[in-house]
Amino acid sequence: MQTTRAKYERLIGDLRTELRPQREWCEGRGLFLVIGHFVVGVAAGTWLFALLFESRAGLAAAFGLAALGGLAHLAFLGRPGRFWRMAAHWRTSWISRGFVGLALFLAGAALYLVALFAPGAPWAAGSWLAQTGYAAALAGMLVLMVYMGFVYTASKGVPFWTSPLHPALYIAYALRGGVAALAVALALGAASSATMEGLLLAWSGVTAAVIALFALEVHGALTGGNAAARRSVHELLAGRVALYFYCGTLALGILVPAWLAWQGLSGQLSLAALAALGLASALGDFFMKYATIRAGVLLPVWTPMAPQR
Amino acid sequence: MRRGMVIDLRRCTGCYGCQISCKAEHGTPPGVLFARVLKREEGRYPSMRLLFLPVLCNHCAEPPCVEACPTGASFKWEDGIVDIDQDKCVGCRSCMMACPYANRYLNDSPQNYFEQGATPFEAARTARHQTDVVMKCNFCRDRVRAGKPPACVANCPTAARTFGDLDDPASEVSRLIQERGGFPLHPEAGTRPSVFYLPP
Amino acid sequence: MNDLATPIRDDAWIPSSCALCYGSCSILAHRVDGVVVKVEGNPQSVVGKGRLCGKGAGGIMTHYDPNRLKTPLRRTNPKKGLDEDPRWKEITWDDALEEIAARLRRIRAEDSRKLVMQRTTTVTASRLPMQTFAAAFGTPNLSTAGGGLHCGNGAHLLSGIMHASWSVVPDFEYCNYAIYFGASKGHGAGHASASNMGLAAEARARGMKLVVVDPMCNFASAKASEWVPLRVGTDGALALAMCNTMANELGIYDAAYLQAKTNAPYLIGPDKLYVRDPASGKPLVWDKAAGAARPYTDARPADTALEGELEANGVRCQPAFQKLKDHLRRFSPEWGEAISTVPATTIRRLAREFAREARIGSTIVVEGVTLPYRPVAAIAFRGAQGHKNSVYNFLAIELLNQLVGAADVVGSCLGFNPACGGFPETGRPRYVPSAGPDGLMTVGMWMGYHYPYPIAEPRMPRNLGLQDLFAMGMTSPFLDSDDREQMWSRFELGYRPEMMLNFGANLLMSIANRETVARSLAAYEFMVSIDLFETETTRFADIVLPDCSYLQTLDSRSNFPFIFSLPAGMGEWCWPIRQPVLAPEGGQRRFQDVLLELAERIGMRADLNAAYNASMNLAPEFRLQGERRYTFEEICDAELKSNFGPGRGLDWFKEHGLVKWPKRPEEVYWRPFVDVRVPVYWEFMVPLAEKIDALTAPRGLKLPREYYEPLPDFLPCASHDCKAPGFDLTAFYYRDSIHTNSFTMENPWLDEAARLDPFSYTIAINADTATKKGLADGALVRVETESGRSVEGRVRLTQAIHPEGLGIAACAGHWGDGMPVAKGKGVFFNGLLDLDWEHVSPVNLNLDLCARVRVTPVEARR
Ligand SMILES: Nc1nc2c(c(=O)[nH]1)N[C@H]1C(S)=C(S)[C@@H](COP(=O)(O)OP(=O)(O)OC[C@H]3O[C@@H](n4cnc5c(=O)[nH]c(N)nc54)[C@H](O)[C@@H]3O)O[C@H]1N2
Ligand SMILES: Nc1nc2c(c(=O)[nH]1)N[C@H]1C(S)=C(S)[C@@H](COP(=O)(O)OP(=O)(O)OC[C@H]3O[C@@H](n4cnc5c(=O)[nH]c(N)nc54)[C@H](O)[C@@H]3O)O[C@H]1N2
Ligand code: SF4
Ligand code: SF4
Ligand code: SF4
Ligand code: SF4
Ligand code: SF4
Ligand SMILES: [Mo]
Repeated sequence: MQTTRAKYERLIGDLRTELRPQREWCEGRGLFLVIGHFVVGVAAGTWLFALLFESRAGLAAAFGLAALGGLAHLAFLGRPGRFWRMAAHWRTSWISRGFVGLALFLAGAALYLVALFAPGAPWAAGSWLAQTGYAAALAGMLVLMVYMGFVYTASKGVPFWTSPLHPALYIAYALRGGVAALAVALALGAASSATMEGLLLAWSGVTAAVIALFALEVHGALTGGNAAARRSVHELLAGRVALYFYCGTLALGILVPAWLAWQGLSGQLSLAALAALGLASALGDFFMKYATIRAGVLLPVWTPMAPQR
Repeated sequence: MRRGMVIDLRRCTGCYGCQISCKAEHGTPPGVLFARVLKREEGRYPSMRLLFLPVLCNHCAEPPCVEACPTGASFKWEDGIVDIDQDKCVGCRSCMMACPYANRYLNDSPQNYFEQGATPFEAARTARHQTDVVMKCNFCRDRVRAGKPPACVANCPTAARTFGDLDDPASEVSRLIQERGGFPLHPEAGTRPSVFYLPP
Repeated sequence: MNDLATPIRDDAWIPSSCALCYGSCSILAHRVDGVVVKVEGNPQSVVGKGRLCGKGAGGIMTHYDPNRLKTPLRRTNPKKGLDEDPRWKEITWDDALEEIAARLRRIRAEDSRKLVMQRTTTVTASRLPMQTFAAAFGTPNLSTAGGGLHCGNGAHLLSGIMHASWSVVPDFEYCNYAIYFGASKGHGAGHASASNMGLAAEARARGMKLVVVDPMCNFASAKASEWVPLRVGTDGALALAMCNTMANELGIYDAAYLQAKTNAPYLIGPDKLYVRDPASGKPLVWDKAAGAARPYTDARPADTALEGELEANGVRCQPAFQKLKDHLRRFSPEWGEAISTVPATTIRRLAREFAREARIGSTIVVEGVTLPYRPVAAIAFRGAQGHKNSVYNFLAIELLNQLVGAADVVGSCLGFNPACGGFPETGRPRYVPSAGPDGLMTVGMWMGYHYPYPIAEPRMPRNLGLQDLFAMGMTSPFLDSDDREQMWSRFELGYRPEMMLNFGANLLMSIANRETVARSLAAYEFMVSIDLFETETTRFADIVLPDCSYLQTLDSRSNFPFIFSLPAGMGEWCWPIRQPVLAPEGGQRRFQDVLLELAERIGMRADLNAAYNASMNLAPEFRLQGERRYTFEEICDAELKSNFGPGRGLDWFKEHGLVKWPKRPEEVYWRPFVDVRVPVYWEFMVPLAEKIDALTAPRGLKLPREYYEPLPDFLPCASHDCKAPGFDLTAFYYRDSIHTNSFTMENPWLDEAARLDPFSYTIAINADTATKKGLADGALVRVETESGRSVEGRVRLTQAIHPEGLGIAACAGHWGDGMPVAKGKGVFFNGLLDLDWEHVSPVNLNLDLCARVRVTPVEARR
């Protein structure tokens, strides 16, 4: 009752403002969506890099993360009992596509991983079932990487998100998340220095891409965007979520891992440091998503009307 | 047939009759406002003017909310009314983010207007709405199918609201849009709203 | 549900009337299985035309409010005060009524005037039962709390004298140019508010120009073709400058109208009085045809002189119109600008537009009848009224209409249905204005304490409100003012109030600052409050009686008299009733029945029957008989049959909800058909002032004569004279469309809307003014008067207000727990108002509502 009242009061407050913040996808149960999106993105990236770097631990981690992401999504839904309905509209809905992608990924990865990890399984690695699983997981992974950005781009109510760069940015996030997760996985499994160096380079490259895309997006919002988009940028850089952005995203997600990466590339990086880099980078990404989502401001309904009497 | 509404901003006096009659018609819970009235000023003293803008779901011909909905809970009837099937909704709020007009509301927890609990009215009307799903204006589809205009239209004291078929060029709504230069909100969003406004 | 019972589903639409404001719009209540699930407008009715404002549409939530009173309560704490808890205990109706009856019996035996009956204006239908009870009981002390003091003492007086009506509106259907001086009519509030919103919108669509003179661009101004902001309380100056422009600069006026329909040709002597015919005592006019002075009844109007220096009866004299013209010369537009801040060029332009648009001399055919056509109207209400100089404000504004003959003709300023020929089958109800003393119009129907004209003879007061001394007063401040005891003893009033019977009025909020009113409430030995809620005022009662809401009650007329809520102009007459849709809950009882029961218990049944016969003007065959005991249903039945024939009693009305019949042009545009004149020169003020002063001066109260001149002047309010540094703003209040006075803040739907509204619960201040004061939007401020009264609230920076104005919406700021939704919402404007002789008009006793204030941020104080 009390929280209900508080929510109501806040909604009234929001509705009074010209530039109303979106809260559905970040506050309360909405937080689970951010977590879900984040974790699923990382899972997709991890799967990719784990395949590239041939890390079994990475593959397992990717699966685990994806499953967790699915659970987070369930927790986010108002009516989780009806989750299966979300497959229905993959033709138009990116959320639906994401759901299908996740399902595909989880099923495919399960098939593939069972064969990989359990030698006594009814189907062996390389069997057509495992192959199908591999293909499905790969397809699911691709969907997961791509869909998220489009979910935001389709959110016409929140101009800050609708930038055409958003999909690319989210793919880049997924990759960065993948590198980060793999870094942690490899660190735990004592990776070779060559792999490490490859990973650090990959991290640096992807990070550079993320920074560039993000900068472009902010620039776009500030110049081409409308009042709502500008307000979002303001919230991000100097408003309600600035703290998360500066401490979480910039310091934790970029500066700390960048320093560690530089250390690693110029000398020797301890496994612990590698793990720290991965964790910091991932957490930074989480805050990045959290901050961008929370900075979402709804398009004002008002259209200026020529003052003609 | 494409059902639509025309709101004459010259007539509207910002009386909130639409907002409240909609509440009465649908028994919407606190904070759920299928119809709302916005006020804003334009210009500077003394040559300023105060404007009223009543808003509701635009029943867009190309509704991004329907597109974004993963379950099909949000859908469009053959007469153009954009509606929500409460039984299908998972409460993912994607449609809320997709609507450029902020016309959707999550009915997130059972709420009543008074601390003491549901009034007999709320017990009879509000309780029909499922919780944890998204709600919005449905152009009073039950009334419309029964041949009555939507509640907010029938009630508007200034007769600012007109309801009709946008596909029929001879209809009152089409005529008003044509003659008075009716405009929708945020045409740039590409949603093709079915609610038009006549200039103040 | 009982399975054995036949499942008869209750599903009914019941015609009745709204009572969320005094507009009393006709409704259809949809009841399903004993629950009202919707209230809609009744499209059959003329009152509201099937459409409701936000308040009316939301009435269900007021009805079903769980905070409503359900049982009679008795206070157990004898101490009364703002901080005293009455410590209610529930009592039975029988105990409650017996205690009240015992008091009433004793008071009636001693001096019935010790009973004060007070009611809210919000439920107009309450007027009839309350007034009837008071008449039967024998007390003249009826009051409507803030009503009148705030809204009507000036408006009703002027509309009564000049239009035989309670109030005025433009003839929306035909008017082409209306100018409003502080009235929302047709846009947010006022009489027949929902109906008028529809009519005003049609007029807008048709192209009627609307100029709104108002310190704030709120409701009417928002829809106006032109908003003319002015300094608060200076309407009189603006209107006088416009009159001057018309009469002297442009020389445009409707001579034929002035000659025939006003006292403009009456000759005025040097003593400011009419020059009278020695034989008949009638005022003289100058007959140009005869070249001589003759009684006004004997000369053809067209032959009478409006101008010139004349001699009659051996005295030098001038026609009243000459006096007026000369008088107006001192009010140049430049002078008007200095006072009102409205540019002189604008004043001239408005006057020119008004005069031209009046189309003096033109006629039009309406439903086959040729009628004068004057499609302009100057309209005022609460805004121009809420000042010490309200009478002159109104008179000056009304002169605009009178100068061009725009009074109760097609397109002009119309009274609210002052002439009715009655239902065709019965010829009832029927009232028409008629000529009184000196040919001046007296009303056909009235609703106040005394008719506006002829003015009653001032006398040593017998009423607590002293309206019989200040004979143009209506609602009076002296029931509650700080100086009431001084006034009473000064004027040797032979008794003091002892008991109050209050219906609804929340006077602690609706009159002035609460400390003053609390003192007067606490002074009652015994107070009964009949209410829906435990309001702030109710907490001063000894016994509280839970009333039925509008969905549970019965009224043979949903407003008083039946035209109060009926839109003016052509269309139909309409008499709707109110009927119960739901049963009372708990111990709720209809106040009408309670009053009958009390009359029974104190043994005044015969008096009450007689009083009902009079107040309802029942036809002989339907009169209530002697001592007989009647239910309220029977009384309603009698009234309905009396007016509409034996076939149309209560049962018929319960089924049909209302009766209506077409208006005729001769009723709506009655002025040309009724031989009456109205005063553009208020000669009667001179002897009136003499007579009052003769009573007051010897008792230490000099009557300020400048308020009693026959021609209007601009007299500043205290706020205009304030020179104290820092007190640079004038606070005023205005109606919020979504709220009725203090009542509806408890309705959570309306509260929700008001909270979303930028202005409802905030203090509107000009953005530039605020910036100069370093105030940001939303800042918490303290608004303070010179006398140290203050309120707090949050500012809303806006372009929509005069730089010197401070606009506060509605009657908000409840502090009591009896209306928890309302508690703490908005700003209690009246906390700034003083209530005493100094702050009321010495003519009509209305309160000065403009408060000179200083605004400081609350933080800075800490
Ligand atoms: N600040 C400020 N002050 C004002 C005004 C303003 O707008 N602002 N308006 C002024 C004017 S013009 C007027 S007329 C007065 C009005 O002042 P009031 O007559 O005091 O009117 P309300 O504030 O509407 O309060 C009426 C109360 O009557 C009760 N009531 C409502 N319906 C019923 C019913 O059916 N039965 C019973 N028994 N009780 C009922 C409710 O409890 C409600 O709170 O206020 C004046 N004072
Ligand atoms: N919605 C709603 N309707 C109501 C009521 C209600 O409370 N709410 N109350 C009913 C009652 S009791 C009454 S008496 C009527 C009153 O109805 P209105 O007369 O319309 O009342 P207000 O809105 O108080 O005042 C009208 C305008 O006067 C302006 N004003 C204030 N001071 C000045 C001034 O000095 N000069 C000028 N020119 N304008 C000024 C205000 O800004 C406002 O716009 O409404 C009735 N109808
Ligand atoms: S009901 Fe009509 S006049 Fe009132 S706010 Fe709504 S659209 Fe405007
Ligand atoms: S206004 Fe919003 S909710 Fe309504 S159809 Fe358009 S996008 Fe959907
Ligand atoms: S919240 Fe319901 S209606 Fe909206 S997108 Fe999700 S499933 Fe569809
Ligand atoms: S059309 Fe019906 S549901 Fe939509 S805003 Fe109007 S009353 Fe509400
Ligand atoms: S104007 Fe008054 S009576 Fe009419 S619907 Fe509104 S609140 Fe009810
Ligand atoms: Mo009033």
